Amino acid sequence: MNKAERLINLIAMLLEAKNPVTLERIRTSIPGYQQASMPSFKRMFERDKSDLREMGVPIQVEQLDAFGEESGYRIPKEEYYLPEIEFTQEEKVALLLVNRLSSGQVVPLSREAGAALLKLSPDLGDGSRLGHPASLQQWKFSSQSESLEGLSRLWDASVKRRTILFAYRSLGEGETVERKLDPYGLYFDRGAWYVVGYCHLRDQIRSFRVSRIESAVEEACRDAEGPDFERPEDFRLRDHSRVLPWEFEDGAEYEASIRFSPKMAWLVERDLGDVYRFEAAKDGGGVLHVKVRNEDAFMSWLLSYAEDAEVISPAVLREKVKNHLVAILERLGGGPR
Amino acid sequence: MSDVEERLNRLLSLIPYVLKHQGVTLKELSEVFEVPQEKLLKDLHLIFLCGQPDYTPADLIEVDIDEDRVYISMADYFARPLRFTPPELSGLYLACSALIKLSGRPASAELGSAMEKIRRTLGVASVSGDDIEESMQIKPQVTEQNILAELSTALEERKTVEIEYYTYGRDELNRRRVNPLSLEFGLGHWYLRAFDERSGEARVFRVDRIKDLELTAITFQPDIGKESQTTEPFSPSPTGGIEVRLRFSPALAAWAEEQRIFSDTRREGSHLTCTLHTDALAWLERELLKYGTEVEVVSPPELVESLKNTVQELLNRYQ
Repeated sequence: MNKAERLINLIAMLLEAKNPVTLERIRTSIPGYQQASMPSFKRMFERDKSDLREMGVPIQVEQLDAFGEESGYRIPKEEYYLPEIEFTQEEKVALLLVNRLSSGQVVPLSREAGAALLKLSPDLGDGSRLGHPASLQQWKFSSQSESLEGLSRLWDASVKRRTILFAYRSLGEGETVERKLDPYGLYFDRGAWYVVGYCHLRDQIRSFRVSRIESAVEEACRDAEGPDFERPEDFRLRDHSRVLPWEFEDGAEYEASIRFSPKMAWLVERDLGDVYRFEAAKDGGGVLHVKVRNEDAFMSWLLSYAEDAEVISPAVLREKVKNHLVAILERLGGGPR
Repeated sequence: MSDVEERLNRLLSLIPYVLKHQGVTLKELSEVFEVPQEKLLKDLHLIFLCGQPDYTPADLIEVDIDEDRVYISMADYFARPLRFTPPELSGLYLACSALIKLSGRPASAELGSAMEKIRRTLGVASVSGDDIEESMQIKPQVTEQNILAELSTALEERKTVEIEYYTYGRDELNRRRVNPLSLEFGLGHWYLRAFDERSGEARVFRVDRIKDLELTAITFQPDIGKESQTTEPFSPSPTGGIEVRLRFSPALAAWAEEQRIFSDTRREGSHLTCTLHTDALAWLERELLKYGTEVEVVSPPELVESLKNTVQELLNRYQ
């Protein structure tokens, strides 16, 4: 006897029952239970019931007599049924697009999102019902390199405030090191996921690239109920989620002005206009006012624009760039002319 | 999730789907539920065996498959799917909020109102939008929203577009007419796959490098036969005519080893020697300037020479 068939019959029976159904009646009615002996039926039923509850089926137990000797089971319809939701055409298209995103497994809990959308499917229909047979197919989301399982666990630990353990390999370090982290949140930047939180090893707030986590993510206090920690009141994820390489490190921070050519200014404005002040020039170029702490990282970024970017101020930074260029030239086997 | 659970979840949505859309085709069901038709037929045959006690023909769910159309009756108790579990609701919120950030305008207003309807219908939400904001950030928020929205229109209406595009490999801005075929998000960027009139083939463009875009009045029929695998718009290919060898200092060796652009990497003590093949050198010059003194160009000599000239010209500005 097929388990899925047995479970469907059980749900159907408990949904339709006017009164709570006794164990005996369940056993004698549903094919699949009928052949089992009472003890093995009870084991089977307990397992089925807990599987169904895990799936979210609201099975309730009710006492059938005043002495509590006999109990019965039922599924209240109002707790089982997902109410009907009327979406507009545009909303349907948008939700079907979300379905494409969840198939791509880009975001934590994508599998759960997919399951929710499946439950909405009778109200959504499919693309062809909406007269958009092709346009939805034209949107694609490729999978991330991070495991969905790991991402979902990190998300879960962040919202439930559970301390976690994992093995992490920092860039440039050959060995993995066990880390203990109070995860505060996740961010996605340029195609990679990061988890931010209080790192017990370094005793400070740190970001970890999820793809460099080399073990399963484990709860540190598995036996405790949680939450294991409080997130500091003044913590703001956005303060940690867009730290540019040249703003990192210790050292004094200063402002520098960089002029970009018309060829590149629009790209720079798109990329960094939300972080820094950008002044557009009449010729289509513009000046970006950046904050610098780590000069090496800054020069690396600056030179990737070659002749399309030039430091205007401060003079000390111009001098640094000059010296750096001289060093590169020597390295290439020729001194400055 | 076990196989049984997955199947059960599917069945409990499949029945309401057919009840609401009687006569739906097997093809549609197979697309919506993302299962092959044989599996779907097995599901339908299983439903056929279910019902209410005493499971006489009058108590069983009725399933009719006429040609390729599906009808279900006698299953009113399965007229609606099961409610969401809390993780499913969180997942839905996360996915919606991520899509709003990733796509910007094209879907945001509609998704916002759809989520509001879900929240209103289900009563309280286990995760609110604010919670998500505080625990998940997606950066950078798409700034080329208008471009993405126009491309979305062009896709739907099959309109040829004229784009001003920055070609990274050749380091130049140019204009071209393309027929948009698909939009793909991956590696943190949006990519447009489109038929490029100039080269006569399908090409991939990075949406953030499209400076300007105009919808033309011309419509086109996409040639499905020409679909090809989407690849990075710019990736040095093994077939590239120029072989380049680079030697990274210990400071960058570990980083360089992780980069996918090299066809070969070899450790030499704490240094790393890498090989790549490419058709264009403009992009590589800029890439190499980034690494400054931490990289040495082993070959070809033309690259060393042109790099020297570029650095000298830059230096002149700072003298």
